[in-house]
Amino acid sequence: MDNVSSIKFFIPELFLTVAVIAVIIAGLINKNKNKFLIPGMSVAALLGTVILSFTQYEMGMNSLFFNMTVLDPMSVFFKILVAAATIWIVLFSLQQHMKVEYYILLLITNLGMFLMASANDLLMILVSLEVVGLSSYVLAGYYKNNMKSSEASLKYVLYGAASTGIMAYGMSILYGLTGETNLAAIQQQLLTQQPYNLTVFISIILIFAGFGYKIAMVPFHFWVPDVYEGAPTPITAFFSVAPKAAGLALLIRFMTTVVGHQLAPGAAEWLQNMDISAPLLIAILSVLTMTLGNTIALQQKNVKRMMAYSSIAHAGYLLMAFVVFNKEGYAAIMLYLVFYLLMNFGAFFIIHMVAQKLGSEDIETFYGLGYRAPFAAVSMAIFMFSLTGLPPLAGFIGKFYLFAAIINGHWYWLAVAGVLNSVISLYYYAGVARAMFLVKTETKDAVSFQTFDKILIATLVIPTLVFGIYWTPILELTMRSIKLFAGN
Amino acid sequence: MEATEILFLIIAAITVISAAIVAFSNKIIYAAFSLLLTLFGFAALYVYLSADFIAVSQVMIYVGGILILILFGVLMTQRIYDVSVKSERNPVLPTLLTAIGSAVVLGLIIFKTPWRQVADSGYAPITERIGQAIMGDFLLPFEIASILLLAALIGSVFIARAEEKK
Repeated sequence: MDNVSSIKFFIPELFLTVAVIAVIIAGLINKNKNKFLIPGMSVAALLGTVILSFTQYEMGMNSLFFNMTVLDPMSVFFKILVAAATIWIVLFSLQQHMKVEYYILLLITNLGMFLMASANDLLMILVSLEVVGLSSYVLAGYYKNNMKSSEASLKYVLYGAASTGIMAYGMSILYGLTGETNLAAIQQQLLTQQPYNLTVFISIILIFAGFGYKIAMVPFHFWVPDVYEGAPTPITAFFSVAPKAAGLALLIRFMTTVVGHQLAPGAAEWLQNMDISAPLLIAILSVLTMTLGNTIALQQKNVKRMMAYSSIAHAGYLLMAFVVFNKEGYAAIMLYLVFYLLMNFGAFFIIHMVAQKLGSEDIETFYGLGYRAPFAAVSMAIFMFSLTGLPPLAGFIGKFYLFAAIINGHWYWLAVAGVLNSVISLYYYAGVARAMFLVKTETKDAVSFQTFDKILIATLVIPTLVFGIYWTPILELTMRSIKLFAGN
Repeated sequence: MEATEILFLIIAAITVISAAIVAFSNKIIYAAFSLLLTLFGFAALYVYLSADFIAVSQVMIYVGGILILILFGVLMTQRIYDVSVKSERNPVLPTLLTAIGSAVVLGLIIFKTPWRQVADSGYAPITERIGQAIMGDFLLPFEIASILLLAALIGSVFIARAEEKK
C-alpha cells in the first residue's frame, strides 16, 4: 500500500508522535510547577493509543508504507501490551517526580516498540530497534549522580552498539544473498533460489544477536544484571517486560518469514525455508538461557539483581515455544507475556516500595516483612509463586500452555529441562517468601505504604489471582491475535 | 592488469593495514590517526561500487565529523598516553583459534555463496535515485529516523546538562 493510503492504518503511532510533541511543549511551558500535568498527559496519551489500537483489530491485515510495516492482529496485540505496560510504569514513577525528559523518552520508546511489533523490513527493524535502544540508554542512566545508574547506562550503550553492529552485518549478508530488504520478499527469494546453507545460517545467527540482546538471551545477556541493578527500579521493570515483548514480536515475525514459511496459506504450521536446524539452535539457546539465569539467581543476595537473573530465565522459557514452529507455540508466548507483565511488574514495584521505605534492596531488608507490612508481603509472595509457576496463579497457566505447546510438538527433552529449571527457580523465589514470613527480626514496627501504591499493586495482584482460575478471556484474545500477515 | 585493478589493490591494502594498526596499536593516538586512513579507504571503495553519494557522505560524516570528535576526545583527555591498553594481555591461543575459525567461516561464506548480481550501472550519479527512494518506498524509516534523532537530542541534552542547584 502506498504512503498516503497507509496513513489511516497508522493512527495510533501518529497519535503517539503528536503526544510526544505535546508533552515536550507542555514541559517547556509548565516548568515543573504542576507535578501531575506531564504524567497525566502521558497516561492520557497512552490510554488513547491503547483504545485506538483496539479499534485496529477490525481492520484486517494490510501491509503499509510500501511493505515497510504490516498491520495484523499480532502487531495490534503487542502494541496494546507494551502501551499498557508503559501506563503502569508512568503511574509507578509518579511519586518520584521525574523530569519531563523521562516521560518524553518513555513515549518515544513506546513508539519504537510499536514499530518493532509491526516492522516488516530489515531497515525498519534496524531503525525501530535503535529508537527503543537510544531512549533506553538514557532512561537507564536517569540518576546522573548515582554511580551505578551511570555504569548501567554506559554498559547498556556498549553492549547495545556491539549487538546492533553484529545484527546489521547479518542483515547485510542476507541482503547480499537475496537482494531484498522486505521480509516476505526475502522469504520468496530463499525458497526459490535455495542459496548456500551456511551463509543463511550464519546471517540468521548474527541477526539473532540483535534480537537476543533485546530479549536477554544467552550469550547476549551480559548487560542484564548490571543494567537492571543500576537503572531506576520502574525503568528496570519496564526493561524486563516491554522491550522484551517487542523483541519477541520481532522474533515471531522473523521466524515466520525469514526462517520459515507457512505450510499452506492460513495453515497453523510453518516449515523452515532452508534446512538449517533453526529449531534445534533455539532449543539449545533456550536451555542455556534458563539454566544460566536460574543457577546464578540462586546465589544473589540483592533481590533486584536476583530478579534480573530471573528475567533471563524467563526469556529462556519464552524461547522454548519457538521450537515448535506453529500457532500454538506463538499463542503460548503471547499468553505468557500477559501474565509475565502482571507478576514481574508486581514484584519489581514491591521491591521499589520496600527500597524507598527501608533504603535497601538486599534480602535482609525483607526479613520479617510479613509482620511489618502484611499487604505488600502477601502480594510479593503471590508474585513470587506465580513467577515460579505454581497453581492456582496466573504464572502456572502461562507455563502450562508453554509446556503443552512443546510437548505437543514432541520436544520432550526440552520440556524436561524446562520443568527442572522451574524446580530450581522455586528455591530462590520461595527464599524471598521465607525471608518475609519465617525469619524473625528485632524490629517489629509497621511499615506503611501510601494508598496509591497499594491500589497500584492491587491492579496487578488481583489479575494474577483471577487469571489463575479464569483465564479464558486472555486466551481468547491471544487466539484472536495470532493471525500473521503473510506475503503481499 | 588494468590500472583500476591496481588502484583497487593499493586502496584495499591501505585500508586493511591501517585497520590493523587501529586494532593492534598500543597508543590510542596512533589508533585514532590510522582510523583516518581506514575511513578514507572505505570512501574510495564505495566509489568502486559506484556509490558516489555514500562515498562523499562517508568522508563528510566519518572523516570530517566523527573522527575529529575522537581526536578531540583523545587530545583533551588528561594522561591519555599512560593508559595501558588491555588487549595486550589477551591469551594468545584462544584468540588465534577464534580468529582462524571466523576467517574460515567468512571465507566459505564469501567464496561459496552465489551472491546476487546487480547489473553494473557504470559510474553514473546515484543521488537522484537515493532521493526518490527516500521519498517513496523508504519514507517511513526516513521519518522515523527523525524521531530517533529527536530522542537522541533530548537524551544527550539531559545527560550532559548540569544539575540545577537547589
